[in-house]
Amino acid sequence: MGLPKPGGETIDHPYLTVTQTEISHNLVEAELVASVSWLIKLRWIAGAGVLLATWIVRSLFQVGAPFAILSGIGIAILVYNTIFFLYERRAKQRGATTKEFRSLAIWQTALDWIAMTLLFHYSGGVESPAIWYFIFHIIIAAIFFSRGVAFLLSLLSILLVGGTVLFEYLGWLPHRPLQNYLPVSLYRSPIYILGVLSFFSTTAIFVAFLVGSIQERLRRREAEVIQLSENLQRATLRLQAINEIFKVISSTLDLKQVLERLVGTTAQAMGARACSIHMLDKSGLYLEPVATYGPSDVNIHKGAIDALTHPLAKEALSGKVVNIPSAPQSSLFQSPLESSREGIQSILCAPLIGKGRPIGILLAYHEEPSYFNKEDEEFISAIAAQGSIAIENAMAYQAMSELDQMKSQFIHTATHELRSPVSVTRSLLRTITAGYAGEITAQQKEILERATRRIEFLQKLIDDLLDLAAGKVGGFMAQGTQPVSVKEAIEKVVDRFKIPAQEKSIELRFEWNCLSNGLYVKATVEALDRIFNNLISNAIKYTPNGGQVVVTIESLDREVHIAIKDSGIGIPPESLPHLFKEFYRAPNAKEIVAEGTGLGLAITKDLIQQLNGRITVESQLGLGTTFHVFLPLAAVEAPTLSPMEELR
Amino acid sequence: MEEREMTKKHILIIDDDADQRLTVRLPLEAAGYQVSEAKSSEEGLELVKQLKPDLIVLDVMMDTATAGFQVALALHSPDPKSEYKEYRNIPIIMLTAIHTTTPLRFAPDADYLPVEVFLEKPVDPEVLVAKVKELLPN
Repeated sequence: MGLPKPGGETIDHPYLTVTQTEISHNLVEAELVASVSWLIKLRWIAGAGVLLATWIVRSLFQVGAPFAILSGIGIAILVYNTIFFLYERRAKQRGATTKEFRSLAIWQTALDWIAMTLLFHYSGGVESPAIWYFIFHIIIAAIFFSRGVAFLLSLLSILLVGGTVLFEYLGWLPHRPLQNYLPVSLYRSPIYILGVLSFFSTTAIFVAFLVGSIQERLRRREAEVIQLSENLQRATLRLQAINEIFKVISSTLDLKQVLERLVGTTAQAMGARACSIHMLDKSGLYLEPVATYGPSDVNIHKGAIDALTHPLAKEALSGKVVNIPSAPQSSLFQSPLESSREGIQSILCAPLIGKGRPIGILLAYHEEPSYFNKEDEEFISAIAAQGSIAIENAMAYQAMSELDQMKSQFIHTATHELRSPVSVTRSLLRTITAGYAGEITAQQKEILERATRRIEFLQKLIDDLLDLAAGKVGGFMAQGTQPVSVKEAIEKVVDRFKIPAQEKSIELRFEWNCLSNGLYVKATVEALDRIFNNLISNAIKYTPNGGQVVVTIESLDREVHIAIKDSGIGIPPESLPHLFKEFYRAPNAKEIVAEGTGLGLAITKDLIQQLNGRITVESQLGLGTTFHVFLPLAAVEAPTLSPMEELR
Repeated sequence: MEEREMTKKHILIIDDDADQRLTVRLPLEAAGYQVSEAKSSEEGLELVKQLKPDLIVLDVMMDTATAGFQVALALHSPDPKSEYKEYRNIPIIMLTAIHTTTPLRFAPDADYLPVEVFLEKPVDPEVLVAKVKELLPN
């Protein structure tokens, strides 16, 4: 994640603020490595150039010169360049430091300047046409080093040129003129010397200034671009981190997971050494640690924090982001709790606010002092805001699940507690009516049978009530929904009612109007069984002898439509709106079947809604009723066309 | 009369509900069996050793929801070192309301639920007597 520093080091902190001068400095260093090899390439040309120029001057222009010495300089340049070339290659291979490259550059410059001065001297001193080549060296130096060094080197060139010229003038150095090039006496002409030297000096200084300035401006621009892109990268990283936290929010409702992902992403995004979340407990007095991220050797708050007296907690819970640059010196750390927390210097703490009240704090830690800056404060604040939503959602979900669990448990207990006495009472009555407790009179028996009927109704009522309650809390879905074959589920129920239907001479028919046999809905077998058991048993119950009950199934685009049509007593129009209400029974139904809990259809509707389906009813009094059930399709198998398949 | 008493088959009812025990006891006594009662799993296991009954009628839910299963597993344990190994072959009729209270479905299973018969509560006395007669011929 870090910025690669020239020389192989890496800046670890993604948000480290690098000043422009630092960047400029780093750029000079970075360029040095590239410049060294560039210079070596140029020097091949320079060395070859010297040899070529010597040969041309000698053979084409008949200019007299110390050709052996000049060729020697050219060869020397090529030889030391070969050495530099090999050295540089090895240095690169073993990943040499910037310092080594710097000394390599200095050595090259030094040798170049010696070679240049010799060339200048042996090609005629003040009369030498090679004098202007010093300018190249100044340009190179200006590119190579900073502007100040370039200036110094331009002064050096003036000194070298001036010194050589002066020494030759005074006769301390022998004059080596080029024969047939210029009037030989020029090196003794003060005016000529003055002219050459002054123009050379001003050119040298001006070039050093010009190139140095341009180079500096380029570097500054580059530094700006680097800083801008770095800021951009930092902003992108933060956006990504916030996005990541959004994902955390939507990906899970498990509180523990939300907390763990939150500390993990926060620590990673901020480059923090560790991160933790403390939540206010039910009393509101203590902040309990609920999630930590980071190596275990980092000493962070692992115990509860006193929310009322701890200065950091107090400040954060009041809604402020607290940035502590140096924990051991901070006045917010007076409590003895912190004494164990050596090693951690920087602490950043943001409040977690849920529904307007503080619910906890989010902490980030680092060993370096003053690690977190203003941007980090804003960032952690944003994370804390998003995180709070996630935590609140997960907490609400957890509370709901716990409540659900409690309800299910209650219903389970109630089931046993309510059913057993009723069941035992039935058995007790049965032992008497069956004569196991001695002879009873016919009247006694009739009374006991009445009691048995009432107790059986009570049992049915309890069963229905518990089913209704179980349905409301998803008891029928307790084992989780899965694709269930509609055909199989309904066939089973229809088979169960074949005998009761026969007893009333009712024609019970099942019509499958779909191409595919494999229509699946997301449900549980128990729920589907209960739904169609209720509807088909009602249809048979309220259809007079000799009537008809037809169950048809058709597959629609995205749902399956099941119709249960009977030729029964029908439902009065005024009863239709109340039909699915608990304990409601239509008056004509009560006439036919005296005992009924009025809960069957309520349970049925509840279950269908839980399966994301719907139920409607149409009825004509005295002619019959049709219930329509629509359930969303989970899967459809390819149509089964083969007759063999059909048989199976 | 004395001799008849000696040949009577002995049935042990293990159930924490006194009324439930009575509804089992009456038809069985009327059918000519000697009946003893235990109020808990512990007492039941103790009485099995003392009385060596010919058959056990066992309730599933007692002090815990699966107490009856534990008793059945202990009695029918195939472990050669089991303290109940002498009683391994005593048939068990298990009374359960579990079908109506949970979606779970049980069937006699040699490994896990080693009982001979499951009877759903409320138990019909005639069915109970018929099952007992099946398990205790002569």
